[in-house]
Amino acid sequence: MKRMRALLGTYVEIEAWGCDADRLATAIEAAFTAVERVHRLMSVHRPDSDLSRINRTAWRLPVAVHPWTARTLRWALLMHAATGGLFDCVLGSELSRWDLMPGCGLDDAMPGSMADLDVGRDDTVRLARRVGLDLGGIAKGFAVDRAIATLRRMGVRRAVVNAGGDLRVMGREPQRIHIRDPADPRTVRLAGLVANGAIATSGTGALIGVRDRAPVRDGGGYSVVAPRCVIADALTKAVAQTGRIDAPWLARFGAIALLTAPRAQAA
Amino acid sequence: MRWLPLLAPTAVIVTVPAAATVYFSTEQAQQAMFPGATFSLVPLQLSDAQRRTMLDRSGVHEPFHADRVWRVSTGGYFVIDEVLGKHERIKYAVAIGPDATVRQIEILEYNESYGYEVRDPAWRQQFVGKNASSTLKLGSDIRNISGATLSSKHLTDGVKRLLVMYELALKGTP
Repeated sequence: MKRMRALLGTYVEIEAWGCDADRLATAIEAAFTAVERVHRLMSVHRPDSDLSRINRTAWRLPVAVHPWTARTLRWALLMHAATGGLFDCVLGSELSRWDLMPGCGLDDAMPGSMADLDVGRDDTVRLARRVGLDLGGIAKGFAVDRAIATLRRMGVRRAVVNAGGDLRVMGREPQRIHIRDPADPRTVRLAGLVANGAIATSGTGALIGVRDRAPVRDGGGYSVVAPRCVIADALTKAVAQTGRIDAPWLARFGAIALLTAPRAQAA
Repeated sequence: MRWLPLLAPTAVIVTVPAAATVYFSTEQAQQAMFPGATFSLVPLQLSDAQRRTMLDRSGVHEPFHADRVWRVSTGGYFVIDEVLGKHERIKYAVAIGPDATVRQIEILEYNESYGYEVRDPAWRQQFVGKNASSTLKLGSDIRNISGATLSSKHLTDGVKRLLVMYELALKGTP
């Protein structure tokens, strides 16, 4: 059974099989509810999301957030530390300056980095300064993982969850994975087979490079295969900035990077 | 995790004429969104002024097909609409509750292609007469596509237009 809904600003498809239709329908519905919850908590476009509350208030007062928001932020901190700062979701100031997130309350954000973020053990968030967070580089991956976990809890053992190109396969049966060419979206390439794993592919344009604080627009396309989608999603952002698919931190997460479209010019 | 790379990354390219997936037929969507209800087609006539208001308030230029609006026996409306993105054409259904709020949105069909092909009537013709199973087959070889995120803004705008239509033509009618 296959279903699609518009969530997280994109189209999310959930396919599950291997048990009866009623159970599949209930499980898929629950999985969409999980994705919807991630959207409600972490969308920069919703003024009432945890993320918007953090951006508005956490530089003055601690902000209590949902455990899922806290978990996503902890993943983000881990990815930031592991990639030597290449993964960073405190680029609200730059997103605003390059007009990539208009009307999201990031206009007053100061430049900063993840070093300005603190997530307490009680799931409260503090910002050292008035910086701006955007979880666009990691929340989709986290949502895909939550959908897979929900399906598993409901007794499903074989499924694919695809949130606009960030996808995860549950089950030992290898699934064919195609990768869209960023230069020509009509074109896809068969990249390989994945079982019990995730893959994410870098987009172009809306990714800010940490080093020069400007959008990465070299035409290069990169995918990362990893055990969890949150890892694949975050690490593509780091790989796309360096253009190197042999970074030492990939192995730490059991991840593999692929070059899926050549860069326009050598960096 | 198991990863089996099949091809050198830049070796083989497949051009997709149209990756199409059918998720629901009209009847399946009706029963999923309003279980047990019966549906009667609403003979809707929209004036030019109403259509202009719908365009102004949603920004959606595609013509609206007024012959896919149903009144639901248990209250509310079931509406089918289509939106065109840059690379995709999406047919979707909206359940509007008796309290005039959107209860549920389900995507019925997702067709991925370049916009210019979708807007070309000859290209569209290939879908005429296709039922759920034949369309499914068309896209069944290409699945699990990873890539830069497609925005769902067009669908959001489409739903906005349906709500304007509801305000103008359906609200308060028995």
